[in-house]
Amino acid sequence: MAKVFIYPATSLILSDLVARFGHEPLGAALSIRERIQTPGLESPPLQITPEDPKKGLRYAAVEVPSGVRGRMAIYGPLLEQSEAAIIVTDAEMAFGCMGCARTNELILFSLRQRGIPLLELTYPKSEEEGVQFVKAIREFLAGLQEGGS
Amino acid sequence: MAAYTPRLVGTVTKYVFVESPDVMPSDLAIRAYEVSEGAMIKETCFGLQVTGMPEEVDRIIRHLRSIDPHHIFVKDRGFPPGDPRRCRANLGGARPGYFGHEFEFPLLRFVSCGLRAAEEAAEEERPVEIVIREARPALDIRKLIEIIESEES
Amino acid sequence: MTERVRIAQLACGSEYSGVQNEIADAAEAVDAEVFFPDISLADIEAGVKEFGLDVRSGDLKLAIGRAKALVDGRVEADAVFIATCFRCAEAAIVRNELRRYIHEHSSLPVVSYSFTERTTAGTLLTRMEALTTIARRRALLAREEQTGLTMGVDSGSSTTKAVVMRDNRIIGTGWRPTTEVIGSADETVRLALSEAGVAREDIMAVGTTGYGRFLVGKHLGADLIQEELTVNSKGAVYLADHQHGASTVIDIGGMDNKAISVQDGIPGTFTMGGICAGASGRFLEMTAKRLGIDITELGPLALKGISKNVSMNSYCIVFGTQSLVNALASGSTPADVAAAACHSVAEQVFEQQLQEIDIREPVIMVGGTSLIEGLVKALGDLLQTEIVVPPHSQYIGAVGSALLASGFIKGE
Repeated sequence: MAKVFIYPATSLILSDLVARFGHEPLGAALSIRERIQTPGLESPPLQITPEDPKKGLRYAAVEVPSGVRGRMAIYGPLLEQSEAAIIVTDAEMAFGCMGCARTNELILFSLRQRGIPLLELTYPKSEEEGVQFVKAIREFLAGLQEGGS
Repeated sequence: MAAYTPRLVGTVTKYVFVESPDVMPSDLAIRAYEVSEGAMIKETCFGLQVTGMPEEVDRIIRHLRSIDPHHIFVKDRGFPPGDPRRCRANLGGARPGYFGHEFEFPLLRFVSCGLRAAEEAAEEERPVEIVIREARPALDIRKLIEIIESEES
Repeated sequence: MTERVRIAQLACGSEYSGVQNEIADAAEAVDAEVFFPDISLADIEAGVKEFGLDVRSGDLKLAIGRAKALVDGRVEADAVFIATCFRCAEAAIVRNELRRYIHEHSSLPVVSYSFTERTTAGTLLTRMEALTTIARRRALLAREEQTGLTMGVDSGSSTTKAVVMRDNRIIGTGWRPTTEVIGSADETVRLALSEAGVAREDIMAVGTTGYGRFLVGKHLGADLIQEELTVNSKGAVYLADHQHGASTVIDIGGMDNKAISVQDGIPGTFTMGGICAGASGRFLEMTAKRLGIDITELGPLALKGISKNVSMNSYCIVFGTQSLVNALASGSTPADVAAAACHSVAEQVFEQQLQEIDIREPVIMVGGTSLIEGLVKALGDLLQTEIVVPPHSQYIGAVGSALLASGFIKGE
């Protein structure tokens, strides 16, 4: 079973397919859950405190907006443990944890830098594309298994 | 800032979306209640939210998926259901993540097609059972000559 | 309108910077609540398309969709708060355009802010207070005449001012540097009462404003304790005799600067900045000290100089002053140095704050720094307009308070 980063990290479709085909999807919910379930100082709604943008300095410099650094504090640890990634390249309507284009650019760049297996594809817009979409993901994930990941 | 004490520590919450002509969220909720052993089941407009210890939630999800495998989709959630920090009633409007679901939901039917096709392909890829028939004994040459001769006469 | 003011929040990055709770707390402190306008994905898609700004970030698209819902009246609100990350260019464009769009197409008061992870509820409080005041007290802010005998006290970070007014006329003023907040207030009140020739007991209503407004307000038993954004807007258009129509009020203060776009005496959009001392009156005080002159002499001196003759390497109060010292050492005239200092402050305010609001003429400059003619000229040159400095402009907060306080006279 491989740890597969999904992009968008909030995607229902990708999260489902990765888990359905026997792997572990790495998405935003895991990091948010960790914060929601960890005692500390109250900082609703996401339990992201002003300390998070400081932790994000590990991934982006101080002149990068605080929202990018705060988001990178969520994604950085997931990116570091990812063994593969599936990227939907036309995820333009993504919000919240995926709502900042600059963060998203940095996430994609980090994934491409890691040298892990990547599958890049677009959302299916027809039944035929749906068939190709699922086939590509299934084969990609099967390949990870064969590779011994 | 005040101290924060989390609740439901150690649990996981999963969204279960159903986009099916045959199964309604209420059907799914009943089936989930039947097999849940203490996990929280919350019916929503799109399906369910299941909250409990990870193994228990996984078991329920496996069961639910088996009801309509190509039309049930599952995703992790960071918050437990109805959390006031994320609840529409408190925020005035939907939390941002909701719009992402709204975007992907109409695409699920295409993914369902893909899942069906993938299952069929898997069927075809399954190694074909080769039936080796018992070989008939070769015709004795003398018997053959006999047959030919009788035909000619 | 309900008593509790409902502020629609249009934001990107506040939850991820860890400051959403600070925004909520600041609103709570002025008996208001922030909420997120309820719209659908289709509204976002249609809203962005209609608005015509092709942004990449989903949360900015969401902000645009929500702004359209507010302007179209599909979602009701009393005020709007727009907040995005400091240093994000994409968000800055959206923030400015949305603020302008809401201001032009609705009567909703709107304030915008760019935050960092260091933003606190305290920083946001004055803005939230102004926002809720505009939403809640439109009737009070509509007042155009001072009636009866009232007093206003402006407890600022550098100076404390008091004004006594009777029947729409200023009859007494008092001014002192702020040292001990209550002590300075008492002293200026004594000066103003003495000049007016009236006793404290005769005053029918008192208003306070400025940083020390709560402390001084409690001490004086004030009828009105009000932040300086609304008070100064009101005071400025009153003193400039421009109570109707559009105007812009600029106050370069000792600790922060305010730029307010005013319509019929009510603030529409405003910015309040205080990031750098180099863009404040303090810088000019230091320059005057270095030149060995009184601050009151700096303005006339600057008018005689040419700012371009002195090269300033920095806007910073430390390094900028160093540039001035170097210029003096290399033979620059004190007049040129004074002009350069005024230009430096004006340029910073112009670049960093005035871009955040729509400048509408007349531009009215108020506060103590409006008496520094060189600064007024430098800012006028940058804005390409003749800036109006009304009489008693240094008493702006006290006059606005005295004016508004007359709404609290019993029987009024």
